[in-house]
Amino acid sequence: MDNNHETTATKPEGLEQDELIIQQHREIEKEISDSILLIGQKEELTSLETEYINDPVYLTKIQDLNKKYKCMRRARPDGNCFFRSFAFAYFEYLMDHNEEYKHFKERALKSKDELISCGFTQFTLEDFHDTFMEVVNLIGEGQHEKLYDTFNMQGYSDYVVVYLRLITSGQLQKDAEFYKHFIEGDRTVVEFCHQEVEPMFKESDHIHIIALSTALNVGVRVRYMDRGESSEAIAHDFPEGSPVCVHLLYRPGHYDILYSR
Amino acid sequence: MAGKTPSEKRLHKELISLVKEPPPGMVVDVDQAEQNLNVWTINMQGAEGTLYDGEQFQLQFKFGTSYPFESPEVTFVGQNIPVHPHVYSNGHICLSILTDDWSPALSVQSVCLSIISMLSSCKEKKRPPDNSFYIKTCNKNPKKTKWWYHDDKV
Repeated sequence: MDNNHETTATKPEGLEQDELIIQQHREIEKEISDSILLIGQKEELTSLETEYINDPVYLTKIQDLNKKYKCMRRARPDGNCFFRSFAFAYFEYLMDHNEEYKHFKERALKSKDELISCGFTQFTLEDFHDTFMEVVNLIGEGQHEKLYDTFNMQGYSDYVVVYLRLITSGQLQKDAEFYKHFIEGDRTVVEFCHQEVEPMFKESDHIHIIALSTALNVGVRVRYMDRGESSEAIAHDFPEGSPVCVHLLYRPGHYDILYSR
Repeated sequence: MAGKTPSEKRLHKELISLVKEPPPGMVVDVDQAEQNLNVWTINMQGAEGTLYDGEQFQLQFKFGTSYPFESPEVTFVGQNIPVHPHVYSNGHICLSILTDDWSPALSVQSVCLSIISMLSSCKEKKRPPDNSFYIKTCNKNPKKTKWWYHDDKV
């Protein structure tokens, strides 16, 4: 039991300043969350250009993306954007791929017992699983608008995010021998899951993407938009070599959804 | 269950589970919790064989409307606040799962177990080094404190 409560000691000097900073952070967060939908409507990629008007490196990459992708959706930048974008993009994809939907539904149903055997408390897990399945069942109804509205209702959307976080954590723990090599700092895989995967609002890294895409066997292509020399936003596929059904755009600290041409 | 918010439903489930399988030495005040689902008091006995053997403590849990997405506010209350390097004399507890590392998959039960474990592993009864300064300057709500967690193996 020594692993999830290292703890203690505040920094004695400057506590009041800390409070101010925290308050300021909260206000900024609230401003962001009020102004950006959890999942936005489709928009042209050229809408990104206004954000980088004096930035030739990014503008070149946007032009290249525009050739490969017809549009994008923005996700709220709240630290859950990878999970939320992934879920929405994949569920939308499944609406048009009935066979895969059936497989996924089976897999999702089975995941509950797998996670319980992984050590998650049954009654907390059940809540998330049940709500997750409600949203999964919407895919079968085939109404894109309804799925979109549901993803913008915090009560449903956040349950989906939590459940995917738990699936990710389960996968990391199941294959801890492999994943432990990718964890920075002096932490075990379990500690990493408690600190960086299971809590809401913690940002996702490669390791989260690899674990989730492997757990669900869903190919994800991430286009990285950064300051690198290349004239295109480099693509990385997870897990490597698998057919891609979810396309995401990464800009430092944030993921959005892409739709290929 | 019609009309209950997801947060209320969840708290009900947690209350039932806490009564059915209480963590060792802990008893939740059920009547109080049923009257106001957002504030629970848990009576706690210091575990045998630890520095707190024979002592009685009270823990208070306050739940916001976003629970379990937001962590509960957990403090020691009452006459006897355990003397421990992570517990301030005003009852505030420095425990990472109560702020940064909270996850909706945790529960009242798991918080209780962490607190038991925190007390049980204590080797010397003393207050945090910055206690007198902290209790003068802190916010009433411990979640508003920016805690500096560091693993000092206490």
